Amino acid sequence: MPMNYSIEAENLNLWYGDFQALIDVNVKIPHGQITSLIGPSGCGKSTLLRCFNRVNERYGNVTTEGKIEVLGKNIYDTDISLPELRKAVGMVFQRPNPLPISVYENVLFGLRIHSPMRSITRAEADEIVEEALTSVFLWTDLKDKLKTRATSLQLEQQQKLCIARLLPLKPKIILMDEPCSALDAKGTRAVEELMEVLAGTYTFIIVTHNMAQARRVSKECIFMFLGELIEHRETQALFTDPKHEKTSDYVHMRYG
Amino acid sequence: MICAERIQTFVLQRITFILLGIAGIPVWNVLQKADAADTEAASAVTPLNTLAPLLDDLYILLLISLFAILLGIVCAFYLQEWLPQTNWTRRFIESVVAVFDGIPSICYGILATGIFFSYAGTLKTLGGVHVPQRTEDGSALVPLVFEHDTVVFYIVVLTFILMVMPVTIKTTQAALGSVATPIREAAYALGASHWQVLRRQVIPLVFTRILAGGCRAMSGALATVALIIGIYTWQYTTDPGNMPNRFVLFLGSALFLSIFSSILIKLYASASANPTHLTR
Repeated sequence: MPMNYSIEAENLNLWYGDFQALIDVNVKIPHGQITSLIGPSGCGKSTLLRCFNRVNERYGNVTTEGKIEVLGKNIYDTDISLPELRKAVGMVFQRPNPLPISVYENVLFGLRIHSPMRSITRAEADEIVEEALTSVFLWTDLKDKLKTRATSLQLEQQQKLCIARLLPLKPKIILMDEPCSALDAKGTRAVEELMEVLAGTYTFIIVTHNMAQARRVSKECIFMFLGELIEHRETQALFTDPKHEKTSDYVHMRYG
Repeated sequence: MICAERIQTFVLQRITFILLGIAGIPVWNVLQKADAADTEAASAVTPLNTLAPLLDDLYILLLISLFAILLGIVCAFYLQEWLPQTNWTRRFIESVVAVFDGIPSICYGILATGIFFSYAGTLKTLGGVHVPQRTEDGSALVPLVFEHDTVVFYIVVLTFILMVMPVTIKTTQAALGSVATPIREAAYALGASHWQVLRRQVIPLVFTRILAGGCRAMSGALATVALIIGIYTWQYTTDPGNMPNRFVLFLGSALFLSIFSSILIKLYASASANPTHLTR
């Protein structure tokens, strides 16, 4: 039953120079639901998340050991194509980072870089943009503003747009690195609702510092501490009946 | 660390100033000699009629500067985008660039003029320079001041490249470095290759600034040419002919380009492509 899990990591170790950021991480992330990663700052949540689409390798001096299977394929194999991997595994960042081009072009950017020049017709493009913006509930707000620069939108709209621009690529997995930390309560709510709606179609992995958020949105929850994966269980179970002392200390906010 | 690097750069700059000063000594000698020498000897090396071919050479030098600017841009892209910050070559080239970038263009002007006028005269015996010949009817008709495959020419070319490239490399690198990391990250995370990120996001954002840097470098080169023409005019010709016009032309273009580059930068700053919350 390989496809029950979107991501399977085995004995994953990662170093930034001499510093070991991930220590023997073994994790299986189920398909089609929201999994959250919690833990104190610097515990390796974001690093782990960034391993899944290998976006952390850009920083140089990163050494990775072990195996990560995404959709049944080891992403550290030599024959893996990074563009294809990142097409299948989309990512939303902590601060909304729309590209400084129009809303319309933002949605199409991913598609344009993955398809030959001028292979998308105007009509197709219009349709794709409408579909993507509709699924993130932005179409009614933005249908008259498609030509405006995406960086001039409200933050909440920007973050939704960042999700929307992944959708035309038809990813299987969406990684979210504290997607709501730059948003207010209303914006957070909007993004969470959006995730819940999309969760059936996509696998979401969300890094969050907000434990209430982890409880609200995720089905499974992973607690990490100093580079180690401490506990991975159903969210409710992890919060109500933590097995590890460290988890219990953290979820009961004795520190962090 | 930064402090040590600054001191190092500062010391190297002073040393280079001094070396350039020494290179300027021949100019002074030639100027002295030109005053003292009899008209015939002086006119043998520097008659009015060498001006036109000299200008041809200068135009070639400007073309070369343009080429050097392009080369500088390519070099800056390579340093900034492909070599890691810790790379030894990158650090070496960057410190050299910092040294040469800090030298005022007047020093280059003196260096270039020095080589131009001193060695153009002395090297004629080595076959590098044509002695101007008078035609039978008395009107002077002069071939090239120096041939384009001689040492002198290459030295002068090198001066121009030395002057233009550091400015271009530095401004281009600064421009590339100014693109906010989140913008690059966003494009990479969507699966864009390095080249696609550059072509579709980075270059459109920094194009104006690179252009401004190129203009600045070119303006320096033009000003130096103007300086050479100016010295030439005042020292070597009793009848300057159209030289003042050329002087004004070169100096004027230099001024125009430097003003143009400031306008470009101002425009860029006011219509900044990087929203404030994304700049690092």
